[in-house]
Amino acid sequence: MTDQHHSSDQPRRPSAGDSVSDSRLVEAHSHLARDKEEPKEGFSLLPIVVVFIFCGFGFWAGLYLTRNAAGFSPSAFDLNAPREVANDGPKAFEPDLAKGEKLFLQQCASCHQANGLGVPGAFPPLANSAWVKGSEDRIIKIVLAGIAGEIEVNGMKYNGNMPNIGAGLKDAQVANIVSYVRSAWGNHADPVMDTKVAEIRKAIGSRGQYSPKEILEQHPLETK
Amino acid sequence: MSQDSYRPSFTLSRVDASVAQPVRLFFASAFLWLILASIVSVITAIQLKDNSFLGGCSLTTYGRLKALEGNLFAYGWVTNALFGLNLWLMSSLTRFEFKNAWLANLGGVIWNLTLTYGAIQIVLGNMNGLSLLEMPKEVSLASFVGFLLAALWPAVAFSRRPTGHVYVSQWYILGSTFVFPITFALTHLLVLWCPAQGVLQALVHSWFYQNFHLLWFASSAIAAVYYFIPKESGRTVAAYYLSTVGFWTYFLFASWTSPASLLGSPLPLWIQSVGVVASLLMLIPLVILSINFLGTLSWNRGLSQSWNNTTLRFVLVAIFALILWGALFAVFSTRGFNAVVRFTSFNVGLEHLLSYSFVSFVIFGATYFILPKVTGSFWLSPKLVHLHFWSSAIGTVSLLVITLVAGWQQGSGLRTDWPSGIFPAVLFLIGHIAFGINAFGMLTAKLSSGHESTHA
Repeated sequence: MTDQHHSSDQPRRPSAGDSVSDSRLVEAHSHLARDKEEPKEGFSLLPIVVVFIFCGFGFWAGLYLTRNAAGFSPSAFDLNAPREVANDGPKAFEPDLAKGEKLFLQQCASCHQANGLGVPGAFPPLANSAWVKGSEDRIIKIVLAGIAGEIEVNGMKYNGNMPNIGAGLKDAQVANIVSYVRSAWGNHADPVMDTKVAEIRKAIGSRGQYSPKEILEQHPLETK
Repeated sequence: MSQDSYRPSFTLSRVDASVAQPVRLFFASAFLWLILASIVSVITAIQLKDNSFLGGCSLTTYGRLKALEGNLFAYGWVTNALFGLNLWLMSSLTRFEFKNAWLANLGGVIWNLTLTYGAIQIVLGNMNGLSLLEMPKEVSLASFVGFLLAALWPAVAFSRRPTGHVYVSQWYILGSTFVFPITFALTHLLVLWCPAQGVLQALVHSWFYQNFHLLWFASSAIAAVYYFIPKESGRTVAAYYLSTVGFWTYFLFASWTSPASLLGSPLPLWIQSVGVVASLLMLIPLVILSINFLGTLSWNRGLSQSWNNTTLRFVLVAIFALILWGALFAVFSTRGFNAVVRFTSFNVGLEHLLSYSFVSFVIFGATYFILPKVTGSFWLSPKLVHLHFWSSAIGTVSLLVITLVAGWQQGSGLRTDWPSGIFPAVLFLIGHIAFGINAFGMLTAKLSSGHESTHA
């Protein structure tokens, strides 16, 4: 019985006799591990079948883990818990002042300045401004649609032109900016939610800039 | 079935002689613990049926004896036998002549003395509530030292091996030699010495339990099967190139399987699911092991040839047990099936399948091969070998049928009582006594001519 006619899937006889010495045993297997198969007619079905079966196992394992591991959340314990809990659900919006500040510096600070004081005679201040601290509808509308015309802020008159910055931003971004502005530099107004921004954006539709007169008709300045 | 073909060659006997003393010590202590554990297991089996049996004295109540039985079996019988088996196997494969046998002897003595102390503490009721960690915590330090002295020699033998091919048995032995002390130390630290909080403790314990069975027991037994099949059948292992994949996947997945035994507990869901996945992926190494083992043995009427060889007959039963275990383990780790059999006698059956039908049968087969080589004498009586094989085989099959079927029935709400295991327990005791008479006959035949002492 010679070795050449065997596939490596089949056992061979390294030596005659029933019992082999240990060194012969190791040596025979070292050949099996090292030597390449001679090319031959037909092919051995075993390796390819094994590979397919194992790939199947791997595929199933991935599928099972995706479905039953609750996104690897450390706080999910029960497979039968309601889906929202297991999947972390859609998160409620929370105004993020840090993001708001970052966006403010990018979008607004060139006119209103990083300290919110504006430029006297050119751009009105936001700090301690009645326009900012009062109705959230008013400030959101201004950010979304812009405002142009003569405007009086904290007793000083300005004749500015603010573009519709908010039209190019997402609801959550606008909400973050407005929330930041309403809480910075000594302002103490409530933050606004993204749903409120969405609501107003839908209500005013696509429109031109407000004039100060028009917006004051809708939302007069609050008297303290 | 006798060892007619036993003709020691010169080099082999030098290697064998260098490890003979510790191997005899480990085997002799293992046999004593095995017989003791079998006696205790008959008592606990009777107690399950008639709970007044020996119940009058607190020392012999069921709770203590059941814990004692488990510890004697795992640490006394299997672990001692694996010390000897791994040492002998690695020395033979690397042709390592053991110069410091007294160190291994010392380790064996420490291990067995601490086990004796721990066993007494368990009977006195001074124990912890986690299975296989029942012995009081001061035991763990001494037994860890004992283990290092007794069981790290395969690693030394391996590091001094002649250059060249590393046979697959050597991988498995080396793996289990390193896994056991790491698992043992970490678990005793995190469960007994500075206990982890909450559910983490249960996770650590189940990790220990699974590693102990899969990566210490089973991995060492797999190494022995890989050795005895080509050794006794005179053939090379079929599809040997797959054995590397089998080894790495086995060690990768085995230690991840433990959370599957904690399904439904307050562990994060993903840990439980990873446990389920790992348990099913254990089928990959098990398919490879089956191809390697059965492919070699079944080729060219090899099965009937193996049946007529004492060692291979035990190994053959062990291989089928391993395959059955792997299939049941994978299926019953999935959530649906697991929910049925959890907390039933089914788990007792699965554990028996692995630690007795597979691991202990491999050790039996290996002992019939090794003991003549390290004592220089022959087995006393082939009749006792037959008696041992048949009572252990019938015992293990009947225990499996009883526990697995009853476990399924319990889980499906079809029965409420715990099945009786008296019949298999008595069969095991008979078989183990037959085995013990044969083995101690050989060990003492050597003793009467020499001066070496075995553990008593």
